[in-house]
Amino acid sequence: MTETLPRTRRQTNPPAARKLVGQSMPRKEDLALLTGTARFIDDIRLPGMLYAKILRSSTAHARLNRVDTSKALQQPGVHAALCGQDLLGKVKPWGDMMQDLLVGDHFPFATDKIMYEGQEIAAVVADTKYQALDALEVIEVDYDQLPVLVDPEKAISPDAPVIQEGISYEFGDGNIFDRYRVRVGDIEETERGADLVVRQRFTSNRQAGAALDPHGCVASYDSFTGNLTIYSSTQSIFMVRDILADTLQIPRNRVRVIVPDVGAGFGSKAQMFAHEVIASVLSMQLGRPVHLVLGRGEIFRAGTCRTGQVRYAELFLKRDGRITGYRDYVVHNCGAMSLWGNQVIHIGTNVGMLPYPIPNVHVDADIVHTNTAPAGPLRGFGIPQMIFAKEQLVDVAAEQLGIDPLELRARNVVRPETFPYRTPMGQVIDSTSIYDCLHKCGEAIDWERKRAERVPYEGVGLGVSMKYTSCRHPSFDTDLSAVRLRLETDGTVTIFSSDVSHGQSHATFLAQVVGDVLGVGFEKVNLAQPDSATSPFGLGTFASRAAAVLGTACRQAAERLREKVVTIAAHVLEASPEDLETGNDRVYVRGLPDSGLYLENLASYAAYRTHQLPPGFEPTLESVATYDTPTEREAPDGSGNLSVTYSSAAHAAHVRVDPDTGRVTVVDYAMAHDTGVVINPLVVEGQHQGGFLMGIGMALGEDYVYDEDGHLLSASFKDYQAPYATELPELTKIYEIPAPSLTIPGGQKGAGESGAGPVPAAIANAVYDATGVRFTALPITPERMLLALKEKERQGVDTLRFPDDMPDFTGPRTHQEWPEPTASDEGDILL
Amino acid sequence: MKAFTFLAPEALDEAVALLDRHGRDARPIAGGQSLLLAMKDRIARPSVLVSLAGLADLRGWRYSPSGELEIGAATTYAALISAQFGGWHGEISAVAADLADRPVRTMGTIGGALCQADPRFDMPALAVGLGASVDTASAGGARTIPAAELFAASGGTVLGPGEILTTVRFPTLGAFSGVAFEKFRQRVFDAAVVSAVCGLRLDADARVADARIVLGAVAQAPVIAQRTGRQMTGRTLTEHDIAELGAAAMEEVLPVSQAMSSFHRYQRELVGVLVRRAITRALDQARS
Repeated sequence: MTETLPRTRRQTNPPAARKLVGQSMPRKEDLALLTGTARFIDDIRLPGMLYAKILRSSTAHARLNRVDTSKALQQPGVHAALCGQDLLGKVKPWGDMMQDLLVGDHFPFATDKIMYEGQEIAAVVADTKYQALDALEVIEVDYDQLPVLVDPEKAISPDAPVIQEGISYEFGDGNIFDRYRVRVGDIEETERGADLVVRQRFTSNRQAGAALDPHGCVASYDSFTGNLTIYSSTQSIFMVRDILADTLQIPRNRVRVIVPDVGAGFGSKAQMFAHEVIASVLSMQLGRPVHLVLGRGEIFRAGTCRTGQVRYAELFLKRDGRITGYRDYVVHNCGAMSLWGNQVIHIGTNVGMLPYPIPNVHVDADIVHTNTAPAGPLRGFGIPQMIFAKEQLVDVAAEQLGIDPLELRARNVVRPETFPYRTPMGQVIDSTSIYDCLHKCGEAIDWERKRAERVPYEGVGLGVSMKYTSCRHPSFDTDLSAVRLRLETDGTVTIFSSDVSHGQSHATFLAQVVGDVLGVGFEKVNLAQPDSATSPFGLGTFASRAAAVLGTACRQAAERLREKVVTIAAHVLEASPEDLETGNDRVYVRGLPDSGLYLENLASYAAYRTHQLPPGFEPTLESVATYDTPTEREAPDGSGNLSVTYSSAAHAAHVRVDPDTGRVTVVDYAMAHDTGVVINPLVVEGQHQGGFLMGIGMALGEDYVYDEDGHLLSASFKDYQAPYATELPELTKIYEIPAPSLTIPGGQKGAGESGAGPVPAAIANAVYDATGVRFTALPITPERMLLALKEKERQGVDTLRFPDDMPDFTGPRTHQEWPEPTASDEGDILL
Repeated sequence: MKAFTFLAPEALDEAVALLDRHGRDARPIAGGQSLLLAMKDRIARPSVLVSLAGLADLRGWRYSPSGELEIGAATTYAALISAQFGGWHGEISAVAADLADRPVRTMGTIGGALCQADPRFDMPALAVGLGASVDTASAGGARTIPAAELFAASGGTVLGPGEILTTVRFPTLGAFSGVAFEKFRQRVFDAAVVSAVCGLRLDADARVADARIVLGAVAQAPVIAQRTGRQMTGRTLTEHDIAELGAAAMEEVLPVSQAMSSFHRYQRELVGVLVRRAITRALDQARS
């Protein structure tokens, strides 16, 4: 069956003058950041503001009998205290919309049960934060300990302790709160016809967003007007507004969400949190502003982190290296509660199949709760986990087939003769340069020479991935952003947008877009603070969507504004609009760029001299545009084009392993990306550098380490092994091979997450090349590396899978022993 | 952090008296690089802090008439880094220059690190490894304690409440002909996973006259590998010998029977590697 895919034409005119898009304009954000004048959530001070602090659970699983805040209320400076029982029946649980649940499973505090260490138990508000902390110490909590479940694979056992009680999930009462499945092609037939099957169990780590700016908010309720204003460090003001209003059961036009400067999120701030409800309730009770900013330990334990996965992955190939099928059973660990966790496996698996158009895909996933920190989106949204498994299987296959790993990838990466091309998984690839990226990074790392000239304990490895650019989440039938522009009466332009810039440089790159379309100077364009009372509705900043989706809305709004100013100018100049150009802050007759009318004049006609306007012209110089991507909903078989376009990443790592200490050092690294038309190369390179930083952290150190009682042992920056600048190689081999998106009018593709996806896989493949140790678990710490080398030496073997060749490994080793997915075709309403 | 009173005496006897008067609620503070973090987390809750920063006698260093190196306990790492120590005493500067991060090195002090007695810190292992001793002052009087006896086997120090560590004494240059401190940490600013110190003296025939091997971070207090040290004496060490000594230190400090967890198995391997590296470097120094 062939399908004719619509081919979208670019909408913008070719550039007339020197364009701002494509230039490394200095970031407008940097002055405030570099001079320390940026104002983050903890800097907010409102008159009469009080400080709240949260008492959090020190146990991971318990029956909560009683919380008594009466002594706290007697403490000096204390104004109020709250616990779960106080709010039962008064605020509505949330989490239903994102998870496709009938009823939400999130509540501001534990009520009758504690499900993870760090869960909210009670809160106190006082004149100072120290008084609030003092008062927390006298709150009495009575609870009975329950058996703790940390291992996600034990969660699926029928006799496992049940974590979320009383919530009817689609699949019953157990710890499996959702399932995911892909059925594309015919996997049985593929297996029968395969010349080679490679399989391995992989586990991936939990990783923190570790944004330096903490989660927090200041809620300020005006008792007279009944309006609740909340300043929050969030990635999405309307997600916070809508869910907060729904939770508090007040109209949405009574809740106003404003963001100060946000010092990063990485996905960890893409939801509403309990502390935002708690501060709001306390402010509504007292009629005073309430400041509630979390400490680092609280963020580790109760912010969200990357979902952990256990994958039983199989790759099917033909002798010539063609990949014919992929089968996987996944246990997907979302912690004790999770707003987005189940979406991560959908998108991470669907898009994670790329850059290979694999014809037969069969995936079952059990999405489970454990007594661990809530997990959800984090830079890459499931893709780094998937790529870690799949790209290592590609290397295993390459070795067994006797084909060079680069060559095997080159034979398989998507490289259609015509675009757009629909893959068997349903992705519509509107353009890509992944084949060229692969060869570029191989060349940059000097692949052939380093593979030929062996140096002991040094090796090279590859990883390739493609990344979504924004996404239609299975539970979320929307993918839009909006921009409103206002030409001010002095010829400057203000951009209103609800999408929060927290490292994506909206103020800079949107000004470049507006400047090119409208002809206004870069320095005359200003971005207003996101504010739900004044900004147009948009989803927020996540999923690498800023440049492509928000950028498109901005471009369209600017085109609409341009039409207005040209109309006015044509009237005043008595010229035809077709003969007019914009540029140099004015509208002029083509060929006479030093003449014409300044935008300042045109704006003043619309504001103060409306008799100058064309007859019937509405005296406004505002324009608004919303862009919703032409993406598809996920089909029942798991296929679908969830993303508007796909950016590409090919990475090559060169590592050195110290056989004495096990330290893995990345001595050289090359990355080639297709980010489409880059608006600001400086910003995009910053995103790639930052993505690499998170990738190397996931590969070599970062992890949520739990003891068997569910206590998080790595809940501080002292213990949590996030890399410092000193641990990073200098990244100089960064290349862009743009294949402009045909769907996005400006040709952009997502930049923010390409840098992270292939890093753990590329490093793991390089470690194997260096040592013969195939790491099946992350992170590859010096401890694990050295013990694996010792075990390899003890066994006297050339290669070793770690940890499953270790004597104390107890998991299943072969596919015959692999667990049966609990998902079955019968009784699943999705199929 | 809980509210506290900050007292800044200007003389040692004044500080001793203040600590005596306020009893167990009071804590001396030098650079505050451990204590302030503990107070921030409410793990430590002193109601009175007696600052040692204003005590001139506790800062700086000098050689005693007998040639011992006397370092004031409140001397910062930064001051140690820029000190011009002679001979093997230079290793003290090198260790100070390669621990924690710059803010900690600017504020943190050698005495503070010894009193904190965190087994992963470098200074406790170094002081024990190089046979240092410490002077203390308290309302009960002054005393001198060998560094090897300063640290309690179960963790912490043997110092009494209100007892101030005033001076750290390192032996004369003649005590060793070569010393070396080696450690492994995952990130450059992290505390050590294992540290090893070797101090040795060669006789006229380049044989080891005596030697000390000390390991840090493997127990609650620095561990002296006495058997390994004794094995070194009277021999002209070859590369092969050094490898054997590394293995001997592993057996002595973390025998297989005690290295049950993955982390301890890793520490055991590092003991061998770091002892080898420390002996090699100390020998190179002694022979050059």
